[in-house]
Amino acid sequence: MKTVQRLLPFITLIILVIALSLATPHFLTATNLSSVVRQTAVFNIMALGMTLIIISSGVDLSVGSILAMGGLMGTMAMAKGQPILVGVITGIVTGGVFGLMNGLAITRLNISPFIVTLGTMGIVRGLALVVSNGLPVHEIPKSFSYLGEGTVAGVPFVLLLLVVCAALVHFLLEHTRLGRYTFAIGSNVDAAIYAGIPVKFHTTAIYAIGGLLTGLAGMIEASRLMTGQPTAGQGYELQAIAAVVIGGGSLRGGEGSVVGTLIGGFIMGLLANGCDLLGINPYWQQVIIGAVIILAVSVDELRKRRAV
Amino acid sequence: MLLELKGVQKRFGGVTALRSGDLSVDAGEVHLVMGENGAGKSTLMKIIAGLHQRDGGEMRWRGQPVNFANPVEAAQMGIAMVHQESLLAPHLTVAENIFLGREISNRLGLVDRGAMLEKARKLIAEHRFPLQADWKVDRLSPAGKQLVEICRAIQHGTSLLIFDEPTSSLSEAETHEVFKIVRTLRDRGTGVIYITHRMDELRSVGDRVTILRDGETVHSEAMSTLSTANMIRYMVGREVAALYQREPVPPGEELLRVHNLSAPPSLHDVTLTLRAGEITGMAGLVGAGRTELCRAIFGLDHPSNGQIWVAGKQTAIRSPRDAVRHGIALIPEDRQKTGLARELPIAWNVTMAQTPARYGVLRHAAERDITKKAIDRLRIRCDGGGQKAGRLSGGNQQKVVISKWVSRGARVFLFDEPTRGIDIGAKVEVFEVMDELARQGAAILMVSSELPELLQVADRILVMRQGRLAGELPGRTTQEAIMRLATLPSSETELES
Repeated sequence: MKTVQRLLPFITLIILVIALSLATPHFLTATNLSSVVRQTAVFNIMALGMTLIIISSGVDLSVGSILAMGGLMGTMAMAKGQPILVGVITGIVTGGVFGLMNGLAITRLNISPFIVTLGTMGIVRGLALVVSNGLPVHEIPKSFSYLGEGTVAGVPFVLLLLVVCAALVHFLLEHTRLGRYTFAIGSNVDAAIYAGIPVKFHTTAIYAIGGLLTGLAGMIEASRLMTGQPTAGQGYELQAIAAVVIGGGSLRGGEGSVVGTLIGGFIMGLLANGCDLLGINPYWQQVIIGAVIILAVSVDELRKRRAV
Repeated sequence: MLLELKGVQKRFGGVTALRSGDLSVDAGEVHLVMGENGAGKSTLMKIIAGLHQRDGGEMRWRGQPVNFANPVEAAQMGIAMVHQESLLAPHLTVAENIFLGREISNRLGLVDRGAMLEKARKLIAEHRFPLQADWKVDRLSPAGKQLVEICRAIQHGTSLLIFDEPTSSLSEAETHEVFKIVRTLRDRGTGVIYITHRMDELRSVGDRVTILRDGETVHSEAMSTLSTANMIRYMVGREVAALYQREPVPPGEELLRVHNLSAPPSLHDVTLTLRAGEITGMAGLVGAGRTELCRAIFGLDHPSNGQIWVAGKQTAIRSPRDAVRHGIALIPEDRQKTGLARELPIAWNVTMAQTPARYGVLRHAAERDITKKAIDRLRIRCDGGGQKAGRLSGGNQQKVVISKWVSRGARVFLFDEPTRGIDIGAKVEVFEVMDELARQGAAILMVSSELPELLQVADRILVMRQGRLAGELPGRTTQEAIMRLATLPSSETELES
């Protein structure tokens, strides 16, 4: 019974896949599936970083803005004639720098992550608009579209990227000292301090890693749109948080996993895709997805309460 | 018969807090409930007040079987509780707290602040409490908060009032005021349940006493016929805890020396030395600066003055990290809040101070090894290292916290109230662990408010008073000698010595 409950998100995902393939013939097609993968890859990669942050009992509301900033800086570098690789790295590093700044503000000024990232959400978005003058960047080399739209042996390139990132973050979380400390900090920060764990350093590192992943997501988004948009990624922070939470992460900290987050992300992606295929009014989609978030978390809470 | 409980049971996860709680309270009596820490008194009271729901047994109120799903239902029956830890809304005023949940409203249905203030003022004046109705609660001392809780209970005209150690944080004068209130309530026909640890209080307020031990009611008798010696025997039950006596070993080299440590206003010029093999007890009243001393040594607070030597070398300790690096361990008094990551596996807690890793990559095998050794060595009763630490009983949780430092190889142990909230059997095991650590060359400082325990375990006892060391006593001293040092104004002790 316990295993069934723990596997609930996964079972939900399977049921969703089966239900959708029965409901519409357009679902189980290569074109549709690869489009789902592409759509979800962007916020799934962001959600990987968010998993670390939420396990440490933090939250990052600024990822949507950082995504836009990363994409913008990367595409501007390319527009200035830099090679694609340099552009991509610029985008990733930009994300990392803003993540690092979030982490430093949280740990050095001792302000709650919610407040800090609420502030930087506005600051970074504003800076992106200032830097770009509010205009999208279009002068991008054509082959840049490979990042978001290309395939390797029929498999979307972004799926490979997602798998690699997920494997890295999973390893980080489960098999490194940083990951262990992330759980310790999130579960009981005082106990972590009393144990001599360098809490500030590791908290900062966690936000920086989240920023790097968000920067990468920004470059993928830019590649899919073939523009650097200062307004990109609005509301993505909520998508990323939702993916983590549906996958069993707890905003109280100390709980969450990479596999759970990926499942959560795909559940969200499939719900949106399913609604599209079934011709459900997009206004209703928001209602459905919101309800699923609450449902998933309440089921999880129920499981925990019974376990105690 | 006002209230009757029979065979009441309560479990929290794997831990049985209450095996068989019996209690009957009449109207117009003060009924004392006694027992060691962890005997189940608070759990029983919370079940009566509707804060917990029982897993088994009977509860009758005025002869009728009852079930309280929440405190409001209990309150509607006329049952109220004055809590040990304050359950007030800190940002509201005294008056607003007294009327919390039962605000007086005017004809428009709006809250009538004026009327509430007026009534609160009258109530406070009637009992001559040192309170003002318009004060914010978060400004009050623990004693002040307690008085607000008492006001709240009295105001709502209850027929059964539960006091959970009401005087543990009160001054002498305030304690007398509480007694007076308790007697007034009794004379008006209210039933009063009163939990206390202080022997001196019992006879002055109690009519009957019920004693709990290890989650079971073991005895109930009229106060007038029960001798103090018998009372203690019922409470302690198993003689093991009372009989434990550590055999001191000759102290070895000095491991920690603190010189003139000051952190105003809580610490002034504290100088002490801890040696290998020695358990140094530390006594003092609440607020005497014992916890603050531990915090300062451990780098959690920053002393304004003073030096610390670790193993003969002068050392600057600016953070817990520094302290841990120098082999100092703190077993904090508040285990749940600062000692244990409850939601994480035992293994992760055990290795938290020294996570085995190579180039940042965890060595899982080494971790399993360390955990297994710790579980064996400290005899932690669990289903293995993967079990969540929060599922363990209090005593085993404490052992996990200790094992964190044993695995790390710490040599100076600061135990702050090491037996708080754990049952008697586990206390002895904690003593044995401390003894074993000392024998293997650790220096131990044991801060405790349980004087009998200090007398059992410590080789010598330091006493603190108002942030200063008031004196040092040999391990086989008496409770009276400790209390004299802990309470007398300094001029008098100086005269004595």
